[in-house]
Amino acid sequence: MLRQLGKRLIASVIVLIAISIFSFALVRLDGADPARMLAGELASDQEVEDMRVRMGLDKPVVQQYLTYMNNVLHGDLGYSWAFSMPVSELFAIRIPQTLRISVLGILWACVFSIILGVIAGIHQGSGVDFFAMFFAVVGQSMSTVWLGFMLILIFAVKLGWLPVQGVQGARSLIMPCLCVGFGTAAHQTRLMRSGMVDVLREDYVTATRARGISRNKTYFKYALKNALLPIVTNIGGQIGRLVSGAVVVENIFNLPGMGQALITGINQRDYQLVQSFLLFTAALLVVCNMLADIVYTIIDPRITFN
Amino acid sequence: MKLSTVLRRMRKNRLFMIGFCLLLILILLCSSAKLWIHWNPEVGSLRERLIPPDYFTDGLQGHPFGTDALGRDVLSRLFVGGRISLRIAVIVTVISMALGALVGMVSAFYGGIIDMVLMRICDILAALPQMLMALTIIAFLGNSMGVLIFTLTVSGWVGTARLVRSAVLAMKNKEFISASRVLGASDWRIIWKELFPNTLTQLLIDASGHLGGTILVETNLSYLGLGIAPPTPTWGNMIADGRTYLSSCPWIVVFPGIALALTVLGFNFLGDGIRDVFDPKNTD
Repeated sequence: MLRQLGKRLIASVIVLIAISIFSFALVRLDGADPARMLAGELASDQEVEDMRVRMGLDKPVVQQYLTYMNNVLHGDLGYSWAFSMPVSELFAIRIPQTLRISVLGILWACVFSIILGVIAGIHQGSGVDFFAMFFAVVGQSMSTVWLGFMLILIFAVKLGWLPVQGVQGARSLIMPCLCVGFGTAAHQTRLMRSGMVDVLREDYVTATRARGISRNKTYFKYALKNALLPIVTNIGGQIGRLVSGAVVVENIFNLPGMGQALITGINQRDYQLVQSFLLFTAALLVVCNMLADIVYTIIDPRITFN
Repeated sequence: MKLSTVLRRMRKNRLFMIGFCLLLILILLCSSAKLWIHWNPEVGSLRERLIPPDYFTDGLQGHPFGTDALGRDVLSRLFVGGRISLRIAVIVTVISMALGALVGMVSAFYGGIIDMVLMRICDILAALPQMLMALTIIAFLGNSMGVLIFTLTVSGWVGTARLVRSAVLAMKNKEFISASRVLGASDWRIIWKELFPNTLTQLLIDASGHLGGTILVETNLSYLGLGIAPPTPTWGNMIADGRTYLSSCPWIVVFPGIALALTVLGFNFLGDGIRDVFDPKNTD
């Protein structure tokens, strides 16, 4: 297992290097001149040139890349010109906000989908089952943007229960969390239901019941554990969905998190912020996928790593 | 499987038929829109700004779904925009499926160094969420239809390639492949005539999910100002445009959202239906 893990690590490093080159090259393909944008429309050519030197954009591209990577490895993610602070400092301020809605979002999604999926799986064909399938299908067909707008329209505008946007205590987090977790909840309800249905057909469940073990113990001690497997593998993939969701949701509800910083960075041609954001996200996904694989081998002894 | 069996199962499968009919109606309405709409979807009249829906009391002469902030008819924009959204989704999906199937089959069939290189490329492209990748590419290359299709395809084919690869790996050593090799079939013949037809069902299921997913990503990109540029309508930028008038004129957002959800729902149903129809365990 350690050997396989080592191989995966090397592959991950290659992926991250490729992403760093990709994001570095991408932000430089753009026609706009960031020195000109930052110096302002009224700046003289000399001032723009000075700005270029200060931003390090006068050096050859390869040298810029090597300097950037060297800095990244020393924990320096560059300087955000749009926010006038080091990128790592900006991330430190912004990450808690994004983490809050992402973690709460995935938490409600998991709890809700597992409970709903299990009940639906046990009581196939019942009203709960119908509701679960309806929720799963409709939830996966809705656009995050539209869902956000509808939540605002219903709960903030019509009913006036929740604040429209911004950060005003815990109540302002309800709609963003609902929005971030909705797609995941729908997807996992479906996985959980079909997982439960499949497991309950297995011989060992019948055998357990035949030995006189109670219905509830069979369901929750034996069946649930196995039905949970697809959800665990799925969590790794859901992180990516969560990051994209956070970018959109933070912009809908005007929350000062990472996603909003990215869009500001893109609009203001903040090279270092955008490339560091991409690298950071890729690293996060790589680590999460690896963790999901390891957890999977631990809880399912039939599967070996890789 | 015989064609008659497939058709019979399709007719009997409720999910498939609902999805199929839903999409057929939407596609017919969208593709014929230019023939029957009464208003220009891109040019409005400022005297007719933000008119509430009249729900067909005036037929097509009125504004059945109201007008938007620039006085453009929402119904006309809905169906013309739907045509564009659907066209983007279909082009992206077809290219992604073709590329994904080719890479997946070649990768699994030849194995070794080819497999390793192709799969590492997949790893790299899948290292960022599709929306994030598309977002940054469009931001720095400009938002034309071509760039949008390109960016959604770049990372779109990876999932398909992995799916096809694992399907081919599972059947590569089966007897029927060895049999055609013994009969002297070339590599390409085996890939095209033996492997490809056997992955077709999975490709179709994947494609229906992909079509819905692409439409959803397009909405998110439009909302962030990185979709198709106005005044060309798409469902995504119609929803995005309605943001400012959400509380006073919700119809601008509500109708395109419903159309979008119905379309994605149709594709999801169709995918589930295809899965059931071609399921080998299905014995009618």
